[in-house]
Amino acid sequence: MHYFLPFFRWCDSTWLGETIRSSRIYFPIIETFHLLALTILFGAVIVLNLRLCRIIMKGQPVQQVAQDLSPWALWSLVVILTSGIMLFLSEAMKCYASKPFQVKMVFLFSALIFHFTIHRKVTRTDREPGRLSGILVGTVNALLWLGVGLGGRGIGFL
Amino acid sequence: MSDVPAIIHWMQNSDIGTGIRESIWLFPIVETTHVLALALSVGILIWFDLRLMGWGMKHQPVSHVHKQIMPIAFVGFVIMFISGVLLFWSEAEKCYLSGFFRAKVLFLVLAGVNAGIFELATKKTIEDWDKYPIPPVKARMAGLISIISWAAVIIAGRATAYNLF
Repeated sequence: MHYFLPFFRWCDSTWLGETIRSSRIYFPIIETFHLLALTILFGAVIVLNLRLCRIIMKGQPVQQVAQDLSPWALWSLVVILTSGIMLFLSEAMKCYASKPFQVKMVFLFSALIFHFTIHRKVTRTDREPGRLSGILVGTVNALLWLGVGLGGRGIGFL
Repeated sequence: MSDVPAIIHWMQNSDIGTGIRESIWLFPIVETTHVLALALSVGILIWFDLRLMGWGMKHQPVSHVHKQIMPIAFVGFVIMFISGVLLFWSEAEKCYLSGFFRAKVLFLVLAGVNAGIFELATKKTIEDWDKYPIPPVKARMAGLISIISWAAVIIAGRATAYNLF
């Protein structure tokens, strides 16, 4: 981990990080945007993965459900990442020492990679995925995002 | 903190209230459950609201979206409500005195009344809406009021936790 220390120090000392730290209300306001966008993304993730597991919307092709959800999900992801980076800059040294933050980052990168590779491949073809592979991909994707959420909440508490 | 009603004072100092508040694990666990249930309730409800407004999930018939996703959202609401009551119990005095918490309850009532009117009256003709790409004005209004009031609930809830202003 100590290889990253200079990077975290630099993040902590950026103008943006210092500005957010300088006021009591910037952090909560940015965090609220983070949470609002997260609600939209997690909702989309749950709906799409329940469809993959064939629990809801069985009458609609997976591809169509994915296409209906994706523009909103993508924009909410942009808001989440932007606000998340701002929050991180304002307390980078706290994050450096935080176990939940490390857990969150591992889950986040895994979730993003999984989402844009395997998950996307399964949801972007007009072929209905097999029952077992649908359940597997849907469950893994949902659990990865759950890990991101749990890790994130942990940063505030631990 | 003497200017609170007896029941608020009693809740704050009851075994349940004190137990949750002073436990290292209990409060974070209940709080985390509350926030995760948010994705399951509002996060899913919002997709129905967007569909009502004709802004999202346009390929799915309105009645179909309602039938498929609202039961899941309902489960989320039950979890969120129970965990929310426990959180309130543990910080009853702080919440009672917080202007943000009062605003949150107000918007919760607004969201509830809006949903009640929709489920009991507006929804009666939902099958007819499937024929058109965009539902009638009263349905679109219900979706808009729902999104605005739930966003306000989340914002006020976050502000309560931070004890801002």
